Order: sequence, then C-alpha cells, then structure tokens
Amino acid sequence: MDAKMITFGETALDKLLQWLRSSGEPKDIDELLRQYLELLSKLVMEDSE
Amino acid sequence: MTVAPTTGAADQPTLAEEIYHLMVAQGALFALDAPIRQSLPNLAVFLAPRHQLDVNAMREAIEVALGSDERFQREEHPDNEVRFVTSRNGVYVPRVEIDTHSFKQRLQDPDKPLPIDDISVVVSTSRPAIMAIEPVFISDYWQVQAGLATEPFAEEDEFVDDALIAAELSEDAPVDLPVVAAPVEAPAEVVAKAPVEPLAEVVKPVAPKAPVEVVKPVVAKAPVEPLVEVVKPVAPKAPVEPPVEVVKPVVTKAPVEAPVEVVKPARPSRPPVERGTIFTLADGTAIDLRRPTKELLAEHGAVLAQALVDKLEQDPLRRIVSFGRRYFPEVNVINLGKNDLRKIRDYLLERGEPLLDTELIADVFYHNPRQSDYEGVRFSLNYRLHREKDFEFVGVEGASLWSTKGLPAIGGKRVKAAEMGQITSYLVEGLDDSLLEQSVEAIRQTGSVTRLLTFFEWEHGVLPLDASLAALLPGPVLPDQRSAVLRFDSPQHYSQALVEVRYPTGNRGGWLHGLEEFFHAHLVPGALVTLARGQETNMFTITYAEAAETSDRILTFDEKKNKFAFANVSFFAAVDTDQLPSQSRFARLNRLKAFPMGERRKAELILEHVIETMGEQIGSRTAPRYTISLDDLFVGYNTLRPGSLALIQSLLEHGPEFALDAALPGLIVYTPAPGSTPTEEAEAEETTEETPTDVQPTRRRYGGRYADDDE
Repeated sequence: MDAKMITFGETALDKLLQWLRSSGEPKDIDELLRQYLELLSKLVMEDSE
Repeated sequence: MTVAPTTGAADQPTLAEEIYHLMVAQGALFALDAPIRQSLPNLAVFLAPRHQLDVNAMREAIEVALGSDERFQREEHPDNEVRFVTSRNGVYVPRVEIDTHSFKQRLQDPDKPLPIDDISVVVSTSRPAIMAIEPVFISDYWQVQAGLATEPFAEEDEFVDDALIAAELSEDAPVDLPVVAAPVEAPAEVVAKAPVEPLAEVVKPVAPKAPVEVVKPVVAKAPVEPLVEVVKPVAPKAPVEPPVEVVKPVVTKAPVEAPVEVVKPARPSRPPVERGTIFTLADGTAIDLRRPTKELLAEHGAVLAQALVDKLEQDPLRRIVSFGRRYFPEVNVINLGKNDLRKIRDYLLERGEPLLDTELIADVFYHNPRQSDYEGVRFSLNYRLHREKDFEFVGVEGASLWSTKGLPAIGGKRVKAAEMGQITSYLVEGLDDSLLEQSVEAIRQTGSVTRLLTFFEWEHGVLPLDASLAALLPGPVLPDQRSAVLRFDSPQHYSQALVEVRYPTGNRGGWLHGLEEFFHAHLVPGALVTLARGQETNMFTITYAEAAETSDRILTFDEKKNKFAFANVSFFAAVDTDQLPSQSRFARLNRLKAFPMGERRKAELILEHVIETMGEQIGSRTAPRYTISLDDLFVGYNTLRPGSLALIQSLLEHGPEFALDAALPGLIVYTPAPGSTPTEEAEAEETTEETPTDVQPTRRRYGGRYADDDE
C-alpha cells in the first residue's frame, strides 16, 4: 500500500482494534501508538517488497 | 448299498406338509414374506425318531419330499450344508428394495421437466421470507484506498501477466506434451532426454510478443545420435530490456531408457514496485514508515499520539474508548446497571470519603485481581462512572479515586471555590514567583517543596497551587477534571488528612485545601513546612522543622466577632520571625478589616487597605501619605488574601498612587487619590486606643494549645 493513501488514525484502524481486543486488557496510549505505527509500517513495507 | 426309505412316494406330500407346518411354527412371529430356514441335518435328526427311521434314511426321504414341493427352496452353503427355505406365504420371494415412489427423485428428476428458459419456473416472484444480503460492489479504487486490495498493475507490467498466465499454462500441461512453454524473463531451459530410442529434439522458442520463450521440441525418429537440444530465443519486441538468456545447445550422451524430463523454469517473481513510504499528518509533519518505530516515537511521539487520540475521539462508531491514557474496545466494556451504581454510591457514602476503583471492585463486586478480566473490569468501572453525573473522578494517574454526591466536603466551607479561584487568579496571570528559590527540576528530583506559611494559608488551611506545588503534585488525568483528592501523612504526628487539589481553569487559579486542622494543631504562620511525595501517586507527607517550645502573642481570627486579634500561642515549630505575625513585630495587624471573601479578590483594594492600616502616616490629615516596607506589606497582604511578592510589586508599579521615595530608601509611599476619604483611618484611630491585652479571642475550633491560655 502506498503510504500516500494512509489517513493517520483511520487506515488499518480495524486491525488495531483487532489487536486491542485480542490483548484482552486496556492499553496505554503510548503502547497503542507503537502498535499502530508497526501496523502501518507492515502494511506499507509488505506491499513495496 | 443304500437303504431305501420306508416312506413311499405317497407319503412324500405328507412329509413335506409336516415339515412345512413345522417350519411355519418355527417362524410364527416372522413376517409373512420373511424367509424361514432350516438345515437338512436338523430336520433329519428331529424327524427320524418320529418316523422310526434311520437318520440317513430320513435325510434322503426329506430331501426327496421337499425337492418336489414348490414351497421349499434348496440352498447349499459353502460348508456343504443343505438348507431349505420357505415362508409363511408358502413360497419365499426375496424382498425388492427398489422404491420408485421417491419425492426427492420426482422433485429433482421430473418426468416432464419445464423449460429452463422460463425464469418464472425457477425463480419465485414472491418476496422471500428472509431477506438476503446482496453483495455491494466496491470499486478497486476504494479497495486500494482501504488497503483491502493491491493496486492493479500498470500497463508496462502487462507482459508480466501474460507471462504468468503462460507459466501457469505450462505448469498445468501434462508432462508428455511435446510443447513446453517457458515463461517470461526467467531463462528457459528444456532438457529432454531420449526415452527408449535415441532421438534428437530441436527446441524452438516461440514467443514473438514479449520476452516469453516458447520452446517446442520436435521429435525425430531416425538419428541414432544422442539427444540434441537447441534453444533459440526470439528477440523480444517489447522495449523493456528482458533478461533473456540463450541456452546453448547441450549435447549429451544418450542415456538409454531415460524418461523425458522437463525442467520447468522457476515461477517468475513479481517485480518490485516502488511505493511511497512517507505519509503526512494534518499539520504537515512527514512520517517515513521505513524508519524504526522507536525513532518515530522518539521524534514525533507526542504529535502522533495526539493525532491518534483526536482520530479515535472523532470515530463516529466509537470503537475504541478511553479513560485517561488507557484505551479499550467499546464492545469489551462491561455495562453497569442502576443497581450496580446504587451499590457503589451507598458504599462511598458509608465509607465517607473518596475511594479507589480497586476498593470498589473488591468490596462491591468481589472481583479478584488475579482474575484474567480484572483490568477490563477496572477500566469498565472507571469508564462507566465517568459518564454518570452522580459520580466525580477525583483521582490522579495511577490512583483512580471516585467521589459522589453527599460526601462530606473536604476542608470545610469557609472559602467558596468560586471566590478562591478568583483570589488565586494571579497565579495564571504570570505573577507566580514560587520558582525563584526552587526550580522545577529540583522539585521533581527531590520530590519535595518547602515553603513558609502565611497567615491566610494557616487560617484557612489553603495553599495556592503555584508553580512549585504544581511541579510536585500530579496533574489532572481527564481533560474536564476539576479536582483531585490526595492523602497527606504527618509522620511527626502519625496523622492523616485528606486534601483536595483544585486545578486551575481558565483565568482562575488553583489551590489546595484540607490542611486547616493540621495547621492549627501544630503550626503557626511563618512556619516552614515541607510537602513531599509518598509511596503512592496520591500519597504525600507534610513535615515541618521542629523547635523548642515558644510562646508568643500572634495574630488570630475571631470568627464570632469577625475580627483579627492577638492571642497567646505556644508552638514547637521553627518559624521565620519576619513572617510570624506577632504583636511585637506587627502591632497593627489586628486593625485589618476582615473583608468578605468576595471583596478580597480585589487586589488593589486590599493593597491600599493594608498600607493605610499598617503604614506610617507621614502626611497631613487632609493630604495623607503612608509609608510601609515591602516585607511588612507582604505579611499584611497575605493576612487578608494570598498574594505573591511579584503580584504586590506589579500592583505597586501599575498604581499611580504608589511610589518609591528616594528620601526613604526601601519604603513604599502611598498617596491616596484626592477626594478619597480614609474611612478606615478613623476606625483605626479608634482602635489604637485599645490595649492589646483587652482582646479576648474565642476558643479555637480545633482545640489548639493556645485556647487554654486565652481562658
């Protein structure tokens, strides 16, 4: 996926929600942000390879 | 020689009839058409004594009799045993299981099927009972936007698709096909080995369109020569430079009886597509996702976190909800019913003070921290209570405290919140000088703040939330949080006090209250107190420098008479004598008027009143002028209301009535505006006639030690 298509806070939010649900407990905003960045990075880098 | 049966031919029907009745009796409970079997030896053994015959003779007689009877069928089993079969119907007929009357068969294979072109035959025109969800077509563009699909290849990649199709076709082709299509850019290599007879294969690439090589072997019978492979690539027409490799003919010695082996080329990998890895935030910040996450967080963590928080709050579905800094899926949040809320409120009222969320979970819901869903329940409790108007969050980070309506007010009601917020507004107006002696870094490093108590702070148990205290105390967790409740321990007296922190809002300052009892019991104005962090985020300690017992007449406030007065007080705390409002040092302090709190928010009015009351009159009665030192002014000003030295200096600088006289260094000269009548001056003149010993203060509220002296 081209990073230009990313809308921060909207793109891959469902995946972030899925990760949050699977974790089973509330997460701090820092941890949530780290996970979200990794999701976006994975989304972009996988397609570009 | 066989013995002839004694039963004659005339007896055979009788014998057959007897055996039939015997077998029918045996199968009396069988179905009419069910087979009834009996073996010949059994019959012979059974009937021989009855007919007084030898078993063998009886066996022969039975065999003859039943063989001629139509009701019996003879069966020979593999163990040479002969059996006779009959049924209650007389003749056994095997049952036919074919069921031609099948609804399923008639439905699916009707004798006269209707024509399929008539759609009404197969599609009902009536609306089905259950509405089917029809798939909604979403264009590729939006799927790419949402990351659900990849972008279609560009036109220059078209030949790649053709090559992929060709490769797949070649994979699907059977091995014995003579034509092998080698796809795409990968070098095609075909090695055909002679099967039984030596043969020669000429492999011709056929791929005029693109760099696709199609290799076509031609099998020739004649030559005895071993296998010859020729691969001739055709130059591609496409402008793209394909990595065409020409495989030179390889001549191999013909292996006899070697099977034909076709080496398939490796499946061509999709060419790498260069895509952008940088996206831009709303504020223009470019984020490169190729960089490690740690670097991104270190550089743009705050901006990204705020952007993510904003987006999550703007999500119309509210899929992820938050409480403070913690986030949780909304679907996982547990609901609290009215009964649950009532139980929580009743428990808070029973305990009489704000309680931690962990206490509520344990005591009201009996939930164990070792349970796997404990954190989820804790988040749910906080999230739900925050949305209820009967509950108020008064916690800090790491300690979620909840208060409710009806709990006793912390710190009493002598000072109203609205008035105190206006009085401490100077703190948010840039007139806070509390960091002159202690920096924020030092406070955070040591975890403590030391300050002198003023009379107002001591009297009302109120501490302005200046920058030094703000650096020490935890901030609000929620954006709309207006207060927090902290617990202050006194290790010197083994006592505790609940202190409410009122956070500044808008143009109103913040403050702490709830220490009135502790101040009156152990301290006096001018004492040096130290506030320090405790083990928990909501736990603090308050200590003071102890000293030998000292007795002095210091300023107190008589609530009944609403007047200031001096009284004998014994205390054990080290004090700054310049700040101690003693009668010997500040004899005129008791002349200050106890303005109502609403009036005390007027900083200029209080300043003028203090100077007129405590200052020296150096002018005439018609043209009064007053002088006062800044230190005395500070003590007098902080008797009526809290105010920093920066505030007082700002008021002096901006007031035209105030000036520094060169003839009187260190003193402030106040010249009231003409026409203003010194109303308080007359009262002050009257009160000067009173001797300090005449003042009889009332008993203190908290049983201070000086109360006994007054009596």
